[in-house]
Amino acid sequence: MIPELGLIFLIISTVTAVLLSFIPLYASYSKNHYLFSYVKTLTALMTFTISASILCLLISFLVDDFSVAYVANHSNTQLATLYKVAAVWGSHEGSMLFWVVSIAIWGCMIVFSSRYEDQLYIGRMIAILAFVIAGFNLFMLFTSNPFARLLPNFPVEGRDLNPILQDIGLIFHPPMLFLGYVGLTVTFAAAIAALIGGKFTQQHASYLRPWVLMAWVFLTGGNAFGSWWAYNELGWGGWWFWDPVENASFIPWLVATALLHSVVLSQQRSSFKVTTLLLCLLAFSLSLLGTFLVRSGIVQSVHAFASDPTRGMSILFLLGVFVCGALTLFALKAGLIKSKSEFSLVSRDTVMLLGNIVLVVAAISVLLGTFYPLLFELLDLGTLSVGAPYFNSIFVPLTFVAVLLMGAAPLVKWQHESSNRLYPLAALFAASAVIGVLVALQTRDGFDPWVWIGATSASWIFLSLGYLVFSLRSQGAGFIAKKAAMLIAHFGVAISIIGATAVSNFETQELLRMGPGQGKVVAGYTFVYEATVDVESHSYTAIQANIRVTDSDNNDIGYITPQRQTFKTNAMEVSKAGIMRNLVRDLYVSSGQQLSDTEYLVRISHKPLACWIWIGGLMMMLGGFIAAMSGLYNLRRQQVAATKPLTTAQFAVKEPA
Amino acid sequence: MSRSYTSTLMRLLVGFAVLLCISLSVQTSVQAASDKIHYTPDQIRDLGFEIAHELRCPMSVNQNLFDSGAPIASELKGQIFLMLEQGESKAAIIDFLVQRYGEKIRYQPSFSSATAVLWLGPILLLIGIVGFAAVFIREQRKPANTKANTYE
Repeated sequence: MIPELGLIFLIISTVTAVLLSFIPLYASYSKNHYLFSYVKTLTALMTFTISASILCLLISFLVDDFSVAYVANHSNTQLATLYKVAAVWGSHEGSMLFWVVSIAIWGCMIVFSSRYEDQLYIGRMIAILAFVIAGFNLFMLFTSNPFARLLPNFPVEGRDLNPILQDIGLIFHPPMLFLGYVGLTVTFAAAIAALIGGKFTQQHASYLRPWVLMAWVFLTGGNAFGSWWAYNELGWGGWWFWDPVENASFIPWLVATALLHSVVLSQQRSSFKVTTLLLCLLAFSLSLLGTFLVRSGIVQSVHAFASDPTRGMSILFLLGVFVCGALTLFALKAGLIKSKSEFSLVSRDTVMLLGNIVLVVAAISVLLGTFYPLLFELLDLGTLSVGAPYFNSIFVPLTFVAVLLMGAAPLVKWQHESSNRLYPLAALFAASAVIGVLVALQTRDGFDPWVWIGATSASWIFLSLGYLVFSLRSQGAGFIAKKAAMLIAHFGVAISIIGATAVSNFETQELLRMGPGQGKVVAGYTFVYEATVDVESHSYTAIQANIRVTDSDNNDIGYITPQRQTFKTNAMEVSKAGIMRNLVRDLYVSSGQQLSDTEYLVRISHKPLACWIWIGGLMMMLGGFIAAMSGLYNLRRQQVAATKPLTTAQFAVKEPA
Repeated sequence: MSRSYTSTLMRLLVGFAVLLCISLSVQTSVQAASDKIHYTPDQIRDLGFEIAHELRCPMSVNQNLFDSGAPIASELKGQIFLMLEQGESKAAIIDFLVQRYGEKIRYQPSFSSATAVLWLGPILLLIGIVGFAAVFIREQRKPANTKANTYE
């Protein structure tokens, strides 16, 4: 009964979405206000029904209704309740539903917020969102219905949630990424709405900015959580593998980063509006392309979970419809959007433009590397692999350029900067280059250019931002606080770069055979393998190595316990690393295959500053979040100022910095 | 029964290969030919790990030799260390493995006419977009040129 209700709700929401995707457009075209007044009602109905639908799926999971195929395939009676909830978005059908629900809720919040004065624009935007929702709903209904039944012979016990997903890190990672993609969908709709209307004002840009920022925060979180999980769970010792599936979420992040800086230009300077709109379209298209890559299974990947070639075709079809439609509209209407471009060669505008270009080029390069083996095979040129060495050699120099621009941008004036004010910048850069040389000389074989790049980047950010705060001190703390979001996020980038450089270049590692009673000294720490024990939890059995660690002064600092887990339901083997962490180093031990009755292949690493990578990620998220909230707050204040011009006239004058 | 016996034997063999090559017992009693390089044990370890990071495991999906736990990966790691102890250069070792396992084992594709797009694409793209932006902005600025100059 409940699954049928869910399906009916899904169908109702599809029909509503189809209606909602035409009515606002027709109403605004024919200037029919009566018709336009249905926008809110329809949005509410669509959001309610689609949310009710996912609730039905959730209930089916909670009551173990194994007659529903999706539930039977991804849950069983033994599964903990938390994981049953996570199983809702744990695979293809449910994650599509989750995505659509999130789009609807996000859209609904915008429609019902009183912040946005231009109702016509919001109406057009929700129409586009409804069109996307209708597309995905139809896709679900025809190819991947989450409520499909297994009748009459339904199983008494379900299978299991993919054991890899049964981890707290992976409960948060997928929804974060989905929400990021949802945010990109919203910005896509906003861009299309602007193109349909033929204008993209500063006001529209100030609507768009918090949405872009929130999308970016979620994408940052999705990538950071994903890498954190891979570091802890996969037991391979790395934190980023340039795997196609990782790239699929990293490419939209790069474009979203460019987009969020471009929106600032459009909002504050009324410039680069066409660029902003194009980036909105690009970011959404690339997120769909990423979904296609992950879901179709056309690339080999360690974590392509829900791959199925038939779905690939449907996603490719949706991708084609959205992208071709959007680009056609862009080609027709982009000429109507007028930007100011009054700035000279040396100005913050130029620096930010160059930075955005570098980010987009980085994104396209990663895309090229990801798809190259595929194209290579399609063109019958043979097979080849494109992996970490390629991506690092392209991506690191591009990041270096982006970082140079990033440090310089806040110190250069808008519009025009006299070139003799660039001398302090040159001095700061010289100082950071020297620091870079000093750090790079610490490597084992003398000077290492990669270390130089990393160290120079990080110290350049610190010096230039420090100099910025120093030169703004006369303006008071309030003025600096306005830049807090930018400062936190940019410092976060520096922290991540320090962590990444340290881990990649100053790691000490050993790969050796170890059994009870054997020991090894790595980077001053003594690791003694004490015993191998069997551990059992309700979902897996594990062989655990108890390894005692003492530091260089012979103080006991505890045990590291890497495990090789075998899941009971599908006999899948996962190696869980044992990590002992603090702020300056991680001690990382993973145990590999059994070599003799008592001995295992053990990998021991000393990873300096490893957790800085994710601390930096969290700082970027915090910065983005502060910026998004202050953007929403400013919108509200503008709105109040506009409706009560007399009482709040002062505020209106003070407006944006 | 026999299966478990052979698999144990396999493990022992693989383990022996790994032990032989990684153990710090320095066995550099190689007849030093004139073109052979003489590495220190630390260099062997670092270089060996570096090579293992740049090659793809022929069996596991998308993992490099270093990370992979597949038996073949252990064997190849053993091979790398063996060749290093014999004083082979990094390039020679990679060439040897590419000959045996094909171009696909190399994570960093070599530069050829077929991979020119891959290697030159990003830099050409960067130059192209910057050039396009410069021209475009210059075009746009023309009508408003006088105004922009008098702004400050």
